[in-house]
Parts: sequence; C-alpha cells; structure tokens
Amino acid sequence: MLQIIQPAQLAFPEPVEASVIAPYLFVSAAMFVIGLVGFLTRKNMIIMFLCTELMFQAAGLALIAFGRHHLGADGQTFVIFVLCVAAAEAAMALALVVLLFRHRESLGASAWKELNG
Amino acid sequence: MSLEVWSLLALIFLPAIVGVLIGLVKNEENAYRIALATTLALCVPAVGLLGAFDFSNASTSQFEHSIPWVPGLGLEFSIGMDSVSLLLILLSVLLGPIVVLASKTAITKDRRMYYAWLTVLQGAMVGVFAAQDLLLFYICFEFTLLPMFILIRKYGSTNRIAASTKFFLYTFTGSMMTLAGLMYVVWFVAQDAQLGRWTLDIAALTHYAGDMSLTEQGWVLAAMLAGFAVKVPLFPVHTWLPLAHTEAPTAGSVILAGVLLKLGTYGFYRFAVPLAPEAFFEYAPAIAILAIIGIIYAGLICWVQDDIKKLVAYSSVSHLGFCILGLTALNVTGFSGSILYMLSHGFSTGGLFLMIGFMYERYHTRDMNEVGGLASKMPVWATFMVFFAMASVGLPGLNGFPSELLCLISAFQSDAAWNAAGEPGAWGASLGPWFAVFAGTGMVIAAMYLLYMVGKICFGAYKEPADHHPHDELPTDLNTREIITLTPLAIGCVLFGLQPTLLLDAVSDPVNNTVRIVERANGIEPGEASPRLIINEHADDQANDHGGDSHD
Amino acid sequence: MMTSSLLNSMVSTVAAIAPDTAGNAAQPAAVGHGPSWVLLIPFLPFAGFLLNALYAAFGVKSKLPAWTTVGLLACSFIATLSMFMGYDGTPYTVQAFEWFSIHYGDKSFVANFSFYVDTLTIYWMLFVTGLATLIALYASEYMSHDVGQGYNRFFAAFALFVVSMSCLVMGDNLIMLYLGWEGVGLCSYLLIGYFYKKPSAVAAAKKAFIVNRIGDLGLALGVYLTFVHFGTVQYAELFASETLQSYMAAASHGDFGAIPGEAQWIALLLMIGAFGKSAQFPLYVWLPDAMEGPTPVSALIHAATMVTAGVYLIARMYPVFLVSENALPIVAWIGTITAFLAATIGMAQFDIKRIMAYSTVSQLGYMFAGLGFLTPTGGAYHVLTHAFFKALLFLCCGAVMHGFAGQLDLRKLSGLWKVKGWGIVSLGMLVGCINLAGVPFTAGYFSKDTILAEAFVTPGYAFLGWVLILTAGLTAYYTFRVFFRVFVGPVEYHPGDELHDHDHDHGHGEEHSHDAGQHGDHHADHFHPHAPGWAINTVLVVLTGCSILATGLYFVGADKDAHTKHYADTMVSASSASYHSHYGTHAFEYYEKDPEHYPQPGHGPRGSIDAPLAMPLTGGDPHKMMYYISGVVGVIGIALAWLLHYHGRTKASECKMDAIAKRFGPLPRWAENKWYVDELYHAIFVKPLRIISHVFHWVDKLLVDGIVNVFGFLPRVFAWIIRPSQSGVLQGYAVSMAGGLAILLFVVLIIVSRAGGAS
Repeated sequence: MLQIIQPAQLAFPEPVEASVIAPYLFVSAAMFVIGLVGFLTRKNMIIMFLCTELMFQAAGLALIAFGRHHLGADGQTFVIFVLCVAAAEAAMALALVVLLFRHRESLGASAWKELNG
Repeated sequence: MSLEVWSLLALIFLPAIVGVLIGLVKNEENAYRIALATTLALCVPAVGLLGAFDFSNASTSQFEHSIPWVPGLGLEFSIGMDSVSLLLILLSVLLGPIVVLASKTAITKDRRMYYAWLTVLQGAMVGVFAAQDLLLFYICFEFTLLPMFILIRKYGSTNRIAASTKFFLYTFTGSMMTLAGLMYVVWFVAQDAQLGRWTLDIAALTHYAGDMSLTEQGWVLAAMLAGFAVKVPLFPVHTWLPLAHTEAPTAGSVILAGVLLKLGTYGFYRFAVPLAPEAFFEYAPAIAILAIIGIIYAGLICWVQDDIKKLVAYSSVSHLGFCILGLTALNVTGFSGSILYMLSHGFSTGGLFLMIGFMYERYHTRDMNEVGGLASKMPVWATFMVFFAMASVGLPGLNGFPSELLCLISAFQSDAAWNAAGEPGAWGASLGPWFAVFAGTGMVIAAMYLLYMVGKICFGAYKEPADHHPHDELPTDLNTREIITLTPLAIGCVLFGLQPTLLLDAVSDPVNNTVRIVERANGIEPGEASPRLIINEHADDQANDHGGDSHD
Repeated sequence: MMTSSLLNSMVSTVAAIAPDTAGNAAQPAAVGHGPSWVLLIPFLPFAGFLLNALYAAFGVKSKLPAWTTVGLLACSFIATLSMFMGYDGTPYTVQAFEWFSIHYGDKSFVANFSFYVDTLTIYWMLFVTGLATLIALYASEYMSHDVGQGYNRFFAAFALFVVSMSCLVMGDNLIMLYLGWEGVGLCSYLLIGYFYKKPSAVAAAKKAFIVNRIGDLGLALGVYLTFVHFGTVQYAELFASETLQSYMAAASHGDFGAIPGEAQWIALLLMIGAFGKSAQFPLYVWLPDAMEGPTPVSALIHAATMVTAGVYLIARMYPVFLVSENALPIVAWIGTITAFLAATIGMAQFDIKRIMAYSTVSQLGYMFAGLGFLTPTGGAYHVLTHAFFKALLFLCCGAVMHGFAGQLDLRKLSGLWKVKGWGIVSLGMLVGCINLAGVPFTAGYFSKDTILAEAFVTPGYAFLGWVLILTAGLTAYYTFRVFFRVFVGPVEYHPGDELHDHDHDHGHGEEHSHDAGQHGDHHADHFHPHAPGWAINTVLVVLTGCSILATGLYFVGADKDAHTKHYADTMVSASSASYHSHYGTHAFEYYEKDPEHYPQPGHGPRGSIDAPLAMPLTGGDPHKMMYYISGVVGVIGIALAWLLHYHGRTKASECKMDAIAKRFGPLPRWAENKWYVDELYHAIFVKPLRIISHVFHWVDKLLVDGIVNVFGFLPRVFAWIIRPSQSGVLQGYAVSMAGGLAILLFVVLIIVSRAGGAS
C-alpha cells in the first residue's frame, strides 16, 4: 500500500506557536502601514505605485507567516500568485503612468479627476 | 411529453425564437411577413389546446409539465393551465395576428426590431398565464415590461420617452414589492410545519397560505396590491396608463388594454385572493371603494378630454373598476363577471384603439377638435366605431354587458344582510347595494363620454386638420386588411354578448373553487345559517388561534 | 284593407279565448313550453336587420331594403297574429338559447334568451309589429330621397328596433327586458341621429341616450334587487314565488309593514327606468328633442311603441308595484304632473311636430296616472288607442313636412284640406285630432275616461283626477289649434328651409338634385307642394281606419265571468298586470243587475276587495259620469280652439289668440321655451358635472400624477445630495477606502472580542 506523504509535513513536521510568527507579523504590519501612508500622502504616481507594491509584499509576508503557523501550503501558494500578479501589474502600471504623463506632462495623481460626480 | 405540452411550450418559446430570427432578417418587409405567419401559426396550437382541454375538470391544472430548475429551493419550470388561464392564453394568442396586421402601414421605420419585440411579447404573455410556478410567473410577468417598454420608447409618438420611462418604473417598482410579498408567502409555507420544505408551486402555496395570521396576510396583500393594482390600474395608481396608452403605437395600446392590464386582475384573482383570503375579505370594501372611485373619477375625466386616445385610455381605468369590483365581491357571480370582464374588455377597448389608430394614420391627429364628421367620408370606419363604442358602453347583446351586469349584481349580493339564508357562494364580502348604486353610475357616465366621443368624431359636419392630405397607400375609408383586423374583434364582441354562458360554464369550476377557498378561510361552511355571525366570532378568536379551522 | 280585416278577426278571437284566460287571472298559471315558431316574431325582423346591413355593405341603391323590411315585418305581424289565435290561455315560454346561467350552492342566476307569451305580451306585440309594418311601408316612400344614401342604414336600424322591442316585450326575464330596453334605446339613438351631419340631431340623439341611461340605471338596479331579493329574474318564477304571493296578500290588507323595505324598493327603482323610457316628468326632456329624427321614426318609436315600454314594464311587474307602499302613488302623481306640464308646453309651441311630441309626453302621463290609479287596463287600453291615433297624427305631420319641404310651423301653413291631393292627409289628421281631443265616442275618449274615472274611484286621487280633466281640456285645445290653423281656413303655405338647402348638409338636401324638375323654380312663390304618393296614403287610410275601429275594441271581447269589459281588459286581466278593479269594469252595472253574484264594487288603496264603496262622482258611477264631464271638457277645448284659431282668420300667421296671449304677460313665452327646464337642467346638472370633470382632470394631472412624479424625483434629490462625495481625486477614494476598511476592522474586532468575552 502506497503511503501518501504531504510535502509540507516533510519539511516542517510540527506547527509552530503563534508567538514564533509574531515578529514576522509586526514587520508585515509596519510595511503595510508605510505603504498605505505613502499611497495616501504622496503625489507622484510612481511613488504611489511603489507604495502599493510595498503593501502587496506586506500581505505576502503575513501570508507566509500564517502558512507556517497553520502548517499549510496555501499561504505560500498565494504569495506565488501575488508575486506574479505584482510583476504583471508593474509592467502595466508603468506603461499607464507613461501614457498618462504624455497627456498631462505631469506625474501628479491630482491631474486626473474626470470621474468627479 | 404529450402533444399538448409541446403546443404549450411552442406558444411560449416559439415567439421568442422567431423574435430573434426576425431581428436577423435582411428585408424589412419580411419581418412583417414572418411575424404575421408566426402569430397566425400560433393560433393552431392554441386552438388545439382549447380542443384538448377537459372542461368537465376545469379547475384542475391540465397539460401540466414541470422540469426541475433549482430543486433545493423547490424551484421548477412548471407549466399548465386551468380554464381561466386557458381562456386568457387564447385571448393573448388571438390578439397576436390582429396587432401585427394593424401595424402594417403604421410602422414604417426599423420594422425588424418592432416585429421582433412584438412577437417576443406574445410568448411572455402566454408564459404568465401558463406558469404554475411562482417564480416563473413572476419572471414572465416582469419580462412583459421589456418589449412593451421598447415598443413605446421607440415607436411611440411625441412624448414617448417620458411615457415609456414612467410605464416601466411605475409598474416595475410596484411589482418589486409584489415579489417581496410573494416571497414572504413562500418563506412562510416553507416554515409551515405541515409542509416543511421550500416550494414555489402555486397550488401548494395557495393551499397553505391561508394559515398566515390576519396581520401577515394584510401585509402580503398590501405588497401584492402594490404590483397588481398598479398594473390593473386601480384608482390612485393609474396615472401611468393614460400616458402609456396615448404614446404607444396602436398595436402597443391594443396589447396593453387587451392583455397586459389583465395581468393585474389575473394577479388579483390568482394570488391576492387565494394567498390572503382573510385579509382580502377584510379589506375588500376598501378596495371596492377605490375601484368605484376609479369608475366615476376616470369616467368623468374621459368626458372632458380632447385627445381621443386619452379618452379611451381613461375609459379603461373606469372599466377595470368594474372588474375589480367583481373580484372584491368574493362571490361566484362576482368572480365569473370579473373573469368575463378580463376577456371581453380587450375586444371592445382593443377595437376602439384600432379604430383610433386607423384614423390617426389618415389624419395624423388625435385631437377631437381637429377632426369631426368622419361618418360622411369613412362610413365603414364610423360603423365600426359606433359598434365598438356601444360595446364599451355596455349595450346588452354585446360583450360589455354580461360582465358589467354580473359585477354589479355581485356587489349587490355580497352582503349577508341581503342573504339571510347565507347561501354559500352568494354572499361574499361585505359590500352591498350602495356599492352597486355608485358603481352603476359608471354606466351613465360611460354613455356620456363615449357618445360625446362618437358625436364629435363620427357625426356632425366634416372637419379635417388644416394640413391634411390623403395617405399614400391607404384609401379614404378602411381597406380590406383593416376590416379583416377588426372583424374577429367585432365577432368576439357579439359572441361574448350573446353566449356568455360558454365562458361562464368554462370558468364555473375554478370560480367555485376560489370562492370555497375564501369561504373556508373565513369560516363559512355550506349551510351555515348566518355567515355574518360566524365572521364576527372568527374575528374574535383570530388572535388566539388563527387559521385553526382553515383546512380541515 | 288587409290589416283592418285582420284587426276584425283579432277582435272576434278575443271573445273566443276570453273564458279560458279569465280562469287564470288571479293566480299565476303553470308555464308550459310554447311552439318554437314564436321565435320567428323577433327573428324575422332580425333577418331584416342583417339583410339591410348587407345591402349597406354592398351599397344597394334601390328600394330593396324597404321592401325587405316591410315584407319581413308583415310576416312577423302574421306570426304574432297566429300567436294570438293559437293562444289557449296558458302562458308559455319559448327558449332560443341559453344566455346566462351561473350556479352556486343550490341557487342559480339564470336568464336565458327566451320568450314569455301571455296575453299582455300578445296585446303589446300585436300593435308593435302591426304598426311597424305600416310605418315601414310609409317610410319606404318618405325616405325615398335617401335611396342609396342612408336608406339601407335607416331600414337596418328600423328592423333592429323591432327586434329590440320584441325582446323587450316578449322576453321571459328582466334581463331580456333590459336587453330590449337598451336595444330600443340604441335604435332610437341611431334613428334620431339619422341626419348625422346636423349638429342638433346629433345632440338630440346623445341627449336621448344619456337621459334614458339614467333611467336605465334605475331599471338595472331594480332588476338586480329583484334577483337578490327573490332569487330569480324570470317572470314565471317570480310571479309564482311564495314570497311575492305573501307580500301581495299583506299588501291587499294595507299591511305594508310586513313587507321588507328592499322588496318595496324594487318598484321604486324600476319606476325610474320607466320614467326615463316613457319620458315622464324629471326625465321627459329628451322626447321633444327626439323629433329631430325622420318622422316615421317619431311615429313608431317616439309615439306609438318604444315610449310605451315604461307602461309595459309597470304593467308587467304590477305585482311588484302593488307590494310597494309608495310606488304607485308616485307613479300617479308623476303621471299627472307630466300630463299637465307637457300639455301647457304643447299649447305654446308652433312647430306641429313638437306639439305632437309634447302631446305624446302628456298622453304618456295619462297612462302612468292610470297605472297609478290601479287601472292597468286603462293604461294599457290608452297605450293601444294612443298608438294608433298618435302614429296617425305623426304620419300626417310627416306627410306635411315631406310635401312642404320641411315646413312645420303652423303660422306658415293654412287650409291644406283644400289643396289638391291633401284630402287623405287632412282626413287622417281630423280623425287623429278627435281621438286625441277625446271627442265623444272615439277610441281616445273611451280609453282616457277609463283612466279619469279611476281617479275618482281609488281613494286619494280625486285632486289628480280634476287636474287630468283640466289637462284633457288643454289637450283638446292644442290639438285642434293645430287642425284649425293648418288644415282649414284660407289656403296659404310657405315651403320650409329645406328647399334652399343646396349644400346637402341635410338628409333631405339630396332631394333637390333630382327633384328639381318637379319642383320647378325654387322660389317660394312658385312652390308646389308634392302631395303624398300611394304608400303614404295607403298607410294613412289604414291607420285612420284603425283609429276609428279601435273604438270597437271597447265593446267587444268582454268576459262577464271574469268581470272584464272589453278586449284590453280581457287581455290585461289574464296577465301579470291583472288587478281586480271593480270600477274599471263597470261593475256597477253587474252589481245593480245581479247583486247576489257580483260583489259590491270598490277597492281600498291596494285592492282590498272588501273595502267599502268608494265615493261616487256627483252621485253616480264615475265611469258613467266621466262620459259627460270629459266629453263636455273636450268640446269646450275644441270650441275655444275654433274661436281663437279659426273664426275670422284670414292669414296663416295671425289669429285672435295673438291678442289674447299678450294679456298673459310672459307666460306664453315661458311655455314656448318649455318653462326653461332644459336650461335649468343644464345649469344644475350638466354644467356642475362638467366643472367637476375638469377639476378631476386637473387633479389627476397635477395632484395624483404629481405625487407620482415627486416619488420619481426623490432619487434624483438624493443623488444630488451625495454627489460631492464623488470628487474624482484618486487619493480621496483611497482615503475613504482605507477609512472604511478601518471601521470595518474595528467593528469586527469588537464583535470578536465580545464573542471571546462571552465564551
């Protein structure tokens, strides 16, 4: 009879305590807040974009930490996805920023408010 | 599946499919031809269903077929019909070729879309009447709005945008509330210990809904009234109708008067009464008063109209007041008269709308001050006009009379004080003679406004609009196509007037059934000495054990 | 004449059938099924209607519709005659098809398309179909100017009228009666509005229909109440119902308290219907206007047949009227008021057709008074005699109108008797006038006296009796006013305005295109009236004969066992209108001759036969006294007319009356203007209603629809309020998003901590 062994069990045979992952979560939270504040306060679209990336990675870090805590592969899988999306997004976003810059000769986000009610 | 079920499915889905095809054809003239051929062809299965229907068993749903849809919620695609539905389906199908024929010269631009939606509408209307599942009913009920909206919006006259918007939003808002009420019933029945599962089957709901307390029924009734009363339309919520009728193309007006308004009264008959029998009994006088106000108020408004189409539109409000009055009487005569009214009103008022449409095509005005004395130029037209006006006045021997008579008698009858013996099926709600007296003044008012109209437009010295010039295609008087369009309606008027028994017999079983539902819910058993007493007792112990005696 | 011989045979048959019918007079007879050929009576005219409609559709341009109609109506009349001959004294029904039948519990609402034949039906149908045939023949010539135009339409409506009238009279239930009732209303509408290009005709037609509809509402409600109370609308069942029998028993002892109020209401409601159709006081205004229709129509519908439908209704439903405490007294009062009022208006009119119209209203008042005085026999007999002589009078007026290009003003016509070719018309007019005036030994004299006498027999009506006697004098005056002005005296005539009518906006306008040669120069000085042709003359001769022979009906057909006196009495007594008025039948004679066998005549207010002898009039049998009194009054009226309108008159337009009229101040002018009743109605009913309608219209537009629009506007207002929150600034959205998220997290935190705390 063939025994099916989970890969996660091979590497990390034991789940860890919540206190073990706490520092990771603190770092993650700090990164997220820095990103958020940056996004809300900076005018430059490129900087704002960078801030969103920061928030992404903060979430990714938290996911990995929780994944370890629960001893599941889901967190890591998600992070892979997030990285992929972020990469694709970076390309898209920079292209858009360039396009927008060409229209208004400005990188300021406040140059665009056509959607006001 | 039997042939009958296939026929019924064809009546619902064939128009939808053909509607799409019409949208795809290249030649616009072909759109008309296909629509005409389809609507005519649909008469075959419709007549087949009539032939196959077992009238000795008219109250049970026949040609039933159901396909599970969302089984967990008890949702099924379930169709079938009792005799009331059958007759209304026949009416819808019959009006199909008539309105297509009537549109031949009236609609000149973008005919593909016009005929496509007209055909689709046919299927939706049949769907409403054939639905045995609450949600299916509701879907079809709402779906009829869309084609009509487009017909008014795109093919109406000057004020069509406002008219179509109001038509759609008004009726749609109302029916959303109806949906809420109906869903409450569904939820209630699902909670009911006796059934204990989700079902949307109309028959099952009807069976168990009577268990609701009077308060619950009151709210459910209010919710249903919100949708159905707007659709009928009942007095304070009628203002969309004159506008929609006036702006709609002729075919739209005919369908609107002939079938779409009947969705409201059908809703009353099929849902409001059986699902909230006690509340309906309780509030019937109030609804009847609204109906009577509508009869008099709308009738008098008709009398001062200059716009002939608006006049006929308001007359619909007035006429359907009788229909609702019959329903609120809650006795056999009332329901019979009301169903008869649903069927016959479409013939006379539909006829009047066609007449106006034919006149409009020639004179391009609806203002009665601009045209007059048409009898001398258009004798055939004038003859039909007088005929349909008389049918609408309620002349005995024509279609308006039997239904009006029965509705008024039922109002008279429906008071226990007049029926000391408490004959089951006779007494109904507590209306009484005064209701009949006031509603009866509608007879006089109808004569006033319709003769005013006929006198102005048919008789007197000939008058035409200043910039009048003869129509390119149409002769001065009606042509053969137009006469063919009118003939079935005229025959229908005479037939309904002289042979209402055919219809009364056909709907006798379902009507008696519905009356029994109401009576049982209100604690009346055959042979009871005094229904009035029992109602009072019932009202007293309602608070303690409602519905305990409802179905045993 | 064919018709008069038939009439004779009809008279002789009455005596033959009378004994059979008399036995059934008191209690309702068992109702059997009759022969189905009886259906021919309504269906032959119906076939005529269909054929005429077909002719109209195919544009027939000949007199074919007239001959079709006359032929079929004659067949219908013959069928009626055979119905009369074959009647064996038992009422029967004949069913055409089922109409209404609704069942619930063990009860039902049944009203079939079937016909009920008893003596009252036969009595009415005989003169309806007979007169219809004659008048159709008359109209074939009268309407000949319209051949190919409205001719088909005219005869279609004419035939349809006879169908409706047959349904009204022969229907076996109240719903059928209602069908006929509205049907005759429709035909009346179509025929009054026959000259539809004439605004006055259209208005008159509309008025007739609407005023009638008001009455119809009463009738309809009465019918519903009958059904609700007695559980049936079929005559046979109704008259046999124990409930009604017990009410009648109570009523005959004056015990109206024992009869439920709603049963008493039935008669009051039906009465309103009768008032509308028979042009009684508050609702009479349509009938004079109805004279806008062609004259044959006025003669048949608005004089002889349709307007007697109200009398028929009350006679047919007499048992129901007897059980109502107030109905018959109201009928008597209204009838008298109408008779007097219409006579006063008739005296001041100048249009001879209008005079006849008001005299019709007035005579209908007599009939109603008769019904109210408890002599349905008198009412019905007057219906019959009036039908003959009033049709005759109208047709004579029509002949004048036809020959003198629409001239109807009695100030512009004079001495027609001496004009060549007008002898028959003048003779017919004279016979009609003496009947209407109540000259002794005419039919009108006897029938009117039956009613007048009853006023003095039935307690409480003596005053009305005197008013009616006065009215009889007025009637004699205005009737002979017409005769003395128009038919005798110096020859002088001016054609009417139709001669100058070249623009064809009138039905008669067509005449001049092809009749121009006959008329020669259109100038009034060279005007030659065209004398009536054979069809008109034949009809006038027949009707003159009938009017004279109708007197004979007063002396034949008696049934002594049933205390009936004559044809009308026999026929009425054997029907539902049966009412044992011992005075109405000259019971004095019987009583005096054979006191053992005949009861002492007299009756209480509701036919309690045991009531003591009512007051005799000036010491004698009122019926006998009335012969003298009304005879004298009539002669005085005629003498006055002779004095004021004939004696010494040299011109058509002037007479002695002109000077006398001035003495009365504004009264003659008010009377000529119909006492301004039309204006009054317009001011107190039509105008306010019109204003209310306008108010409703605006309320609907502004208030009812306005509220809807307000609700439609609310979402827009809401959007307008929250609109600034959509700034379009990217970071603004980001802030609200972050803030929202923060709030959400905060809430979640609280909930979680609460849940944690609880557990």
